[in-house]
Amino acid sequence: MKRQILTAAAMVGVLALAGCSGAGGGDTPGEDGELTPVSAAVIPIADTAAIWLGVDQGFFEEEGLDVTIDTAGGGAAIVPGVVSGDYDFGFSNYVSLMFANEQFGTDTPMSLSVVANGVTASEDLEKDFGGVVVRADSDIQTAADLAGRSVSVNTLANIGDSTVSQIVADDGGDASTIEFIEVGFPDAPAALENGQVDAAWIVEPFLTQAVDAGARVLFYNFNGFDPELDVAGYFTSAQTIEQKPEVVDAFRAAMKRSLEYAGDNPDEVRRILGTYTEISPELIEQIALPRFRADVDLDAAQRLADAAVEFSGLSTAPELDTFFALDD
Amino acid sequence: MSLLKRFAYFVGLPVVLLILWWALTIGNTNFFVPKPLHLFEIFGDVWFGERMMRDVLPSIGRILIGIVVSIIAGVVLGILIGSVRVLRMLMEPALEFLRAIPPPVIIPVFALVMGINDQMRIAVIVFGCIWPVLLNTIEGVRAVDSVLNDTCAVYGIKGGARLRHLVLRAASPQIMTGVRQSISIGLILMVISEMLGSASSGLGHTIVQFQRTFAVPEMWTGIILLGLLGVALSLIFQFTEKRVLRWYHGLREVDR
Amino acid sequence: MRRVPWTQHSLAAPVLGVVGIILFLAVWEVASRTGLVNPRFFPPASDVLVRLGTDLVSASFWTSVGQTMTSWIIGLTISAVAATAIGFLIGGSNFLRKATHTTIEFLRPIPSVALIPLAVLLFGVSIESALLLIVYASFWQILIQVLYGTADVDSVAMDTARSYGLGWWARVRHVVWPTTLPYLITGLRLAAAVALVLAITAELVIGTPGIGKQIELNRSGGSVVAMYSLVLATGIIGVIINMVMRFIEKRVLRWHASVRKDVAV
Repeated sequence: MKRQILTAAAMVGVLALAGCSGAGGGDTPGEDGELTPVSAAVIPIADTAAIWLGVDQGFFEEEGLDVTIDTAGGGAAIVPGVVSGDYDFGFSNYVSLMFANEQFGTDTPMSLSVVANGVTASEDLEKDFGGVVVRADSDIQTAADLAGRSVSVNTLANIGDSTVSQIVADDGGDASTIEFIEVGFPDAPAALENGQVDAAWIVEPFLTQAVDAGARVLFYNFNGFDPELDVAGYFTSAQTIEQKPEVVDAFRAAMKRSLEYAGDNPDEVRRILGTYTEISPELIEQIALPRFRADVDLDAAQRLADAAVEFSGLSTAPELDTFFALDD
Repeated sequence: MSLLKRFAYFVGLPVVLLILWWALTIGNTNFFVPKPLHLFEIFGDVWFGERMMRDVLPSIGRILIGIVVSIIAGVVLGILIGSVRVLRMLMEPALEFLRAIPPPVIIPVFALVMGINDQMRIAVIVFGCIWPVLLNTIEGVRAVDSVLNDTCAVYGIKGGARLRHLVLRAASPQIMTGVRQSISIGLILMVISEMLGSASSGLGHTIVQFQRTFAVPEMWTGIILLGLLGVALSLIFQFTEKRVLRWYHGLREVDR
Repeated sequence: MRRVPWTQHSLAAPVLGVVGIILFLAVWEVASRTGLVNPRFFPPASDVLVRLGTDLVSASFWTSVGQTMTSWIIGLTISAVAATAIGFLIGGSNFLRKATHTTIEFLRPIPSVALIPLAVLLFGVSIESALLLIVYASFWQILIQVLYGTADVDSVAMDTARSYGLGWWARVRHVVWPTTLPYLITGLRLAAAVALVLAITAELVIGTPGIGKQIELNRSGGSVVAMYSLVLATGIIGVIINMVMRFIEKRVLRWHASVRKDVAV
């Protein structure tokens, strides 16, 4: 008898915990001036400046949305959160999303599509927000020299190795001989200096820090891959598009304004960076900003998908017409 | 108690719980709820192939090395600090602070200073595991029976012999208490160091990969495997403790 | 004849202790300043202490500390209440004690961090994720101590109470509870330390709000000095928790006849 009580107590505990999170889902878009609550999960890095600025400038409120931004540390919780409906929107790079859709299928409620562009390679070919660095005294001089060497990327089989491999191959090197090693961006400069890797793929603010400390930029892997490359964006699940079409439309419209505003006002981008990241103010002034724009360059996106297939083990390139659902 | 009765007590509740688990999940289609039979079926496929060499054994290697290093370093330092009063007073507050740092936050620090590699992960395990051994050894050494101590002095037993027959012996029950706590901390740190330290192999890394790719049943088998590892380590510990402390348990029996 | 050494002086311990800490900081400072360890990745102690000073007067720092302590106290309370209730239930019956032994011995060593992926899937970055880990880890610490405690109840006292016609509740209150209390407190002290470790782990790995998440934010913002300062802060929180729990333990056990020998953690 008592044994049952014990099991029951344990189950009540689990259910009580589960109940707290389960309730946050259903809501209907408000029509008459009432704001509809919307949640978005993003990574607290410079790439997501547009959505923070949009909230700050009230663009989302003007579209009738009350956005709550959750910052998920490594981003591990973002895709699961969007798929399960805990978040309405998430931020991710496009290669990650292509891999996710390979898991979920392209015509299931769980399949993901991009509703707003997020971040684009810099127009200035001499400076970008992501690049491959080597030690100052390294014998690696060209992209092709990376063949047979070790390069750190933050996640294997992702946008880092896809773009780096393509650039090496275009430069005449054998990209298949590059040894990619998984090292998080914060630890990559140290790994490079300690000699654990021959080259490191890093993004801002680590790129500026590494160059200040004497590292040499070998190439910028985003605009070096394609000057019009769109890197990451805001996505949602097919289920959310189906259930809350008005919310998705409103989000698209507000994001469009936010991206344009961020693109036109780099000073505003630097200001908002100080509010949601822990990058020091001096560093914020120095780092290279990405480009923010509403449109996606489909040719560059196709090249990215092809590179992911060729170098990172994506089985097939997605149908970009459905992958990008920027307009309704 | 008859053997049969003991056996019934031993497996009774686990069997009841397993049956309950099985019965309650029969018609369930929820993605997150694991079914015992399904887990049992896939367990072998998931872990006894390539992953055994790539993830499971390296993880076990790291935790074993980490615990052994912690025990050796903890006992050696503990005897040193425990025997030298000045040293103890000098180091006590600093050690008190260092051991209060939750060990997982040391992972970002070690990753910067040492790089992302096995040495770093072992160092993290040692950083967490050494304190229970060290502090218990210090306490154990301090509490060496003064009569025994004087007896040794009278008989001219000193140096290595004194250390082995008196100090280590007297401190061993306390040291074993420390080791027991070390093992559970070590297991936690083994997993986190593989989750945080952008590892490309290891149990912690693999389980997070399963979660990221929504391989939920596989993820559950990983959780179960970690549980089995915990149980195995605790059994090894109990076995070792019985041998090391046979004299002590014997004494306690007499006491009663 | 032993001469009284200077280390027996009442001031010797605090003075030497401070010297020890200064030595520790000095070694850290020198290692970094001389480039023995790259100062970019291992900044000098003085820089970190200055940063810790500015943290201590910043509101956002205290917000994160508050968030961490909130999950800590909620998690600890849930596990304390649950473990005490279940512990008394199991401990009060010989049958239950024997029947649950294997199950407890199997569930207890499962490292609670194994539940991280599950927590992420179920609760995302909300506080429940942290609570799941904290409760799982600290529950067993307390339960085991409560079980030791109830096993320690004097059977003569129990029989006496029974023969005086004391009911179940009265027996628990007057016989079982006083005996078990010191064990419970020891369990609480051990659980308090474990709960902090798991609270910060959840913040660091999953991203639930709190000081661990701030560490991760500073790490991904390239602010190494700030990250070190927060690491020191977690150590200070740990020391405070240990001191408070030991103080409570002493207070509670002071009146207790059998002040049991303290087991160092």
